Amino acid sequence: MTRIAQALLPAAFGALVLTLWELAVRLNEIPPYILPGPLTIMAALWESGPELLQALSVTLEVTIAALILAAVTGAGIALLLAQSKLAEQTLFPYAVFLQVTPIVTVAPFVIIWVNNVFIVLLILAWMAAVFPIISNTLLGLKSADPNLKDLFRLYGASRGQTVLRLLAPSALPYFLGGLRISGGLALIGTVVAEMVAGTSGARSGLASRLLEASYRLELARALACFALLSAAGFILYIALDVLSRRLLRHWHESARPVESI
Amino acid sequence: MNDPAVVLAGVSKIFSTGTAALAATDLSIAEGSFTSVVGPSGCGKSTLLRLIAGLTPPTSGRIARAATATPLATGFVFQEATLMPWATTAENIALPLRLASVADAEVAARVSDAVARVGLGGFAAAYPRELSGGMKMRVSIARAIVNGPRLLLMDEPFAALDEFTRFKLNDDLLELWQRNRWTILFVTHSIREAVFLSERVVVMSPRPGRIVADLAVDLPPQRDAALRLGHAFADQCARVTSALGDAFLTQAAS
Ligand SMILES: Nc1ncnc2c1ncn2[C@@H]1O[C@H](COP(=O)(O)OP(=O)(O)OP(=O)(O)O)[C@@H](O)[C@H]1O
Ligand SMILES: [Mg+2]
Repeated sequence: MTRIAQALLPAAFGALVLTLWELAVRLNEIPPYILPGPLTIMAALWESGPELLQALSVTLEVTIAALILAAVTGAGIALLLAQSKLAEQTLFPYAVFLQVTPIVTVAPFVIIWVNNVFIVLLILAWMAAVFPIISNTLLGLKSADPNLKDLFRLYGASRGQTVLRLLAPSALPYFLGGLRISGGLALIGTVVAEMVAGTSGARSGLASRLLEASYRLELARALACFALLSAAGFILYIALDVLSRRLLRHWHESARPVESI
Repeated sequence: MNDPAVVLAGVSKIFSTGTAALAATDLSIAEGSFTSVVGPSGCGKSTLLRLIAGLTPPTSGRIARAATATPLATGFVFQEATLMPWATTAENIALPLRLASVADAEVAARVSDAVARVGLGGFAAAYPRELSGGMKMRVSIARAIVNGPRLLLMDEPFAALDEFTRFKLNDDLLELWQRNRWTILFVTHSIREAVFLSERVVVMSPRPGRIVADLAVDLPPQRDAALRLGHAFADQCARVTSALGDAFLTQAAS
């Protein structure tokens, strides 16, 4: 199958679903405050496009900041845990707590303790995103080739050299795998945080707009927000996938170019 | 005679799992010699090399290395090529020099010399996955020799290769050895390979490994392909084979 066909197939499927949806709405004369058709949603998107895109950029700012923070701290924490079995046994359970605690339940406290909205959202989105990076990177650090480790030992490598030249490259594919998962989680985290924190006003993000619109029963506008958020999440995933392939293209099986198989 | 490069006195190894890999062993390796170790699978050959390299401590006994064969001047070639997949041929070979913080200019010079010596010119910028099995093994050998080791420990380096490549690499290795006079300890499953390469063949018994025969190879120092076809070569192989057979018989009897 060619690349074009690969891209066309899902697009055609999407178009089919949207057409059926539009037809169903029209034939059954469903009112737009119950379920608007795709064309109505697109019109709403067109009408308030600049405003919604601006709100999206507010949301993405938090998402990307949280993702970068999660990448840096997650890799750092994994490196720390990899230093000793004892450190891992002592601290890893807390990383698990971080993962299984719904951020909705933590949000009220963070909102009380921190009064900068951006920081509140950042903390909550970071909490949602960091665990896959910690656990994947830790796995990667531990799966370095034991013979290579021996070789480093034989040549008297320092701890820093071993981390930089052996452990970090060994963990990179795992770290990037975690990052791809965390990209989506950071966005979900931001959206949930926005909804819980109840941000409003000109500097509020797209999730807040979605909530506002649904309160006012402007369903077309709410669904337009939803479509934009989904598209942003999808693009984020693709971007991280491309980044991962670029970084690994020379050596990792996951990024092997098609021609050389 | 010089001081020996490596002396093992009563060295044994019992792993924490309780596996006795090596029974008390005495062994002395002369400086500049080429010694092969043969023995059945699992008899402790790899363990012996790892003990000598200092990668695992002995359970009892002492290992003395000549001052010229410190761990830093030791080259180790594993059974698999054991390359860093994220690094090019040149960067893989440069590893020992990088870890010793050698200056860039000297690294470049020594790496290109090592690349040429193992016949990998033109592949310095290739990644391991672009290389064949034999080429990867040559990268591994180049890495082991790039820092001018006095002691080269090789653990079945050619076991995974076909005979053509193996013969070629045998010839290359001999030539390198004759030129540089490293001390080489070479583990192999192949009796013919051991006889062809070495001055001395050490035969080990099944686990727990003991040295059951220590044979000087009675062949001229200049070895070439024609040698493999002659009677003298076949005779030497037969000697090692019967020593190995005896090792199995004693094992079965005890
Ligand atoms: N790290 C280890 N922990 C526990 N047992 C080990 C370890 N390494 C080796 N052994 C055991 O020690 C014995 C000798 O192993 P070794 O690898 O030295 O054998 P070998 O002679 O190199 O075998 P082969 O020719 O198959 O490579 C084996 O029984 C093996 O199971
Ligand atoms: Mg072995």
